[in-house]
Amino acid sequence: MTDVSEKLLIVEDLSTTFATAGGPLPAVANISFDLGRNETIGIVGESGSGKTVLSRTIMGLQPRTNVSVTGSVLLDGNEMVGASEDFKRRLWGTEVAMVFQDPMTSLNPVMRIGKQIDEALRVRLGMSKQDAKARAIELLELVGIPSPVQRYKAYPGQLSGGMRQRVVIAIALACSPKLLMADEPTTGLDVTIQAQILNLLDELKERLHMSVVLVTHDLGVVATRTSRIVVMYAGRIVEIGATRDVFANHRMPYTRALLESSPKVSNASHTRLITIPGRPPNLLKLTQGCSFAPRCSYATDKCHQERPELQAADQPGHSFACWNPLPTTRGDSAT
Amino acid sequence: MLELEEMALVERPEKKKPLGPLFWLCVGWIALNIFGAIFANVLPLQNPLYQNYSAINVGPSLHHIFGTDDIGRDIFSRIVYGSRVSIAVGFGSMVIGFGIGAPLGMLAAYRRGRFDTILTTFMYILLAFPAIIATIAVLSFWTPRSVFKIILVIGLASVPLVYRVIRTATLSVATKDYVIAAKVQGAKDRRILMKELLPNIAPIGISFLLIGIATVIALEGTLAFLGLSVTTPTPSWGNMINESRTVLQQNPWLAIFPSLALCLFLLSLNFIGDRLRSHFDVTEVKL
Amino acid sequence: MLRYVIRRILMLIGIVFIISVGSFFLIHLLPGNITAVIEGPGASPENQAKLFKLLGLNRPIYEQYFVWIGNILHGNLGTSFISQTPVVTTIGNALPIDLEIMFLSQILAFAVAIPMAMRSARKPDGVIDRFFSAGSFTMLSVPSFIVIILLVLFVSIKLGIPHTGPSSYVSLRGDWIGNLESMALPAITLAAGSFVVYFRVLRSDLIATLQEEFITMARSKGLSQRRIMWRHAFRPSSVALLGAAGVNIGGLLAGGFVVQYLLNIPGLGYTLIAAINTDDYLLVQGIVLVVSVGVVLINFFFDFIINIVDPRISRE
Repeated sequence: MTDVSEKLLIVEDLSTTFATAGGPLPAVANISFDLGRNETIGIVGESGSGKTVLSRTIMGLQPRTNVSVTGSVLLDGNEMVGASEDFKRRLWGTEVAMVFQDPMTSLNPVMRIGKQIDEALRVRLGMSKQDAKARAIELLELVGIPSPVQRYKAYPGQLSGGMRQRVVIAIALACSPKLLMADEPTTGLDVTIQAQILNLLDELKERLHMSVVLVTHDLGVVATRTSRIVVMYAGRIVEIGATRDVFANHRMPYTRALLESSPKVSNASHTRLITIPGRPPNLLKLTQGCSFAPRCSYATDKCHQERPELQAADQPGHSFACWNPLPTTRGDSAT
Repeated sequence: MLELEEMALVERPEKKKPLGPLFWLCVGWIALNIFGAIFANVLPLQNPLYQNYSAINVGPSLHHIFGTDDIGRDIFSRIVYGSRVSIAVGFGSMVIGFGIGAPLGMLAAYRRGRFDTILTTFMYILLAFPAIIATIAVLSFWTPRSVFKIILVIGLASVPLVYRVIRTATLSVATKDYVIAAKVQGAKDRRILMKELLPNIAPIGISFLLIGIATVIALEGTLAFLGLSVTTPTPSWGNMINESRTVLQQNPWLAIFPSLALCLFLLSLNFIGDRLRSHFDVTEVKL
Repeated sequence: MLRYVIRRILMLIGIVFIISVGSFFLIHLLPGNITAVIEGPGASPENQAKLFKLLGLNRPIYEQYFVWIGNILHGNLGTSFISQTPVVTTIGNALPIDLEIMFLSQILAFAVAIPMAMRSARKPDGVIDRFFSAGSFTMLSVPSFIVIILLVLFVSIKLGIPHTGPSSYVSLRGDWIGNLESMALPAITLAAGSFVVYFRVLRSDLIATLQEEFITMARSKGLSQRRIMWRHAFRPSSVALLGAAGVNIGGLLAGGFVVQYLLNIPGLGYTLIAAINTDDYLLVQGIVLVVSVGVVLINFFFDFIINIVDPRISRE
């Protein structure tokens, strides 16, 4: 067992259930993983896999009504599940911060961006007006916004998508959090900008010694930037392990399907895109068996009847949940 | 905060917000009042005009359920007969207002172009003009007053507002894709499009109608206070409350009962209108 | 921004012009023989005809209109035949009273509605929200005149204060405590009606705004609920509130007269009713014009403010 104090984030058996008109919706179920300091982990899944709900729940940002959360989230020793709003608020911004998906909706449209950064500094760190402004401009520079002094007065609507996202990052970093939750930070941005933003995040996390949880549906994003990957489907972890192992030695057919379905530039033109047949399951009407079974080409009877638990693969730290896993391709994870 | 995709997964059951028992209670109350208004003649009521000088300002008693007013008339029966005025004015003027304003509004929103621009500018100018003042001015000079005249004046005065509401509603529906799709599919007959537009405007229209009726009935009360409603001895809720002013201390019942009748009726109308609106409003987020 | 303002001012002028035409013709098309009124009962037809000519009433109607407009631009709305005072003076005396009532009632309405709406929006459908919403809905159904009656009933009967007649107005210059006392009832009544509208509008807008992503982001910054509510949620929501305020206040100017009339407060509304009853057509005309223009100005003013609060609108 790893030394607990070394881990920045320990998630244990975390489940988030929404109370809806159609019954209880288990958006996230039995998630367990941990994250060390200065480590980056990727959470990958299709739309609807529960990854956003997961990231919010970890941070404690889930809605306050009609939601029930069970399990444990230890953030630098602080228990987030069941904590009071006041308690969590003290950690938000200074210990953990989030970069949201759509910068147009996550920035206050009628407030100047400089002020939005200032706010974090003045309210949370008690800085004076001048100090906060100076620091805000520093931050804008840090995230690569040109002419930060002029931009300080701009409204979000006056900036391009990429710039807005940089502002969001600046706000998130304002109080030097130890953990950064990046929830699809580049989805919706131009492809060229995507790379810029991701590189920026890499750079910043090095400089500021942050750990990052990178949530995305795009495997390409996590391939080179994370040390470990969590693959989610229908609210559960179906495979987890070192990035290299998940890519090269994955056992769960869903992981393979994900890998195969992402278009690669190296493909010849007119290569048919491979898709996963079927649709993600209705979380309100989950069956007893594996959630992926209806769409899985390797499914057996047992897969339909009993839900598989996570089992260890050959490589350390690598587990998957499947009754009929793919065969190991290499014997060991030797470099 | 659920991702849109996650929401799609949920396949939300088609549960519209339920109307609730309170809703039907209000419907029942309205129906009761209308029934009373229509059949007042055949109901076992006292004569609302008969002045019994030996029973002035009597409080609620066996003989007079709500008591009598300052010239000995039975309050209860006057309230029931009085409902005729309020209901007639409320419903009648809305019939005029909607009868003229709604088709014009729908047509303008659907046709657009010059017809729409001219008509809408005209209506908006009318709207800038305080309708209440015009109503008062006209009613005070156009004597002798009758329920019919009141209905006509208020009805006409409400046309611009109805026009604007219906037009706005139609505009938001007409630009929706499924209407354009129907057009592209070659739905020639404009009446078919009325079948697309109308059902979607109906909920907003009906709820606004009910609220409009409530507003007009309150307006009648206001007019009565200025002496501009039906002339006494014809009872109306408004002028009963007006009459009560002079004998407020001696006979609070004359103020209380008609006020209660009026407020309960208005409350029911507003409640029904509001419930219908939220029942049909699919966009109201309820998570 | 500038183009927007210019455009609106042009519209304003256009509307005011049309209103002036409307006011003028409304009065002149109404039945009622002005000369008979002025001369008094028993006036002879010859005298009436002479007066008719004197007043210029025999001139074509459009000529009369232009004369009237010309006078207005000189600040002259005519002199009332009934009261022998210039219309402008009468209106000038009455208008500040209206303004005071409106001012007081709106402050009251906002002071109550805003905190209530915020409290409700924090926990929609919670106990407090249900209570507030039901209460305000009920108040919605109680017309202003009934509010007055009930208040008077309550004050005179329950509190034992003898109801000697409608409270009379005390001028601000005379005795400001007395002034506030006499204004209390009308201000409260008007506030009640306004507050209901403000509460409902603000509550629903706040609930919608609070579901936006940037609110979650503000939460994630570790900001307090109070700060989020006031600094982040309120500003976008206040647009709808200002819109409602504009319409409402405009309506108060025109419609607050019932309250005035009942309580003998000599504001514009009271004066208008009296003028109608005495066939003082010049005064009626003047008041209708002033009120209509006032309403339009108020709407214009509020549009302008909304623009400042939410700059997105003018960019369209």
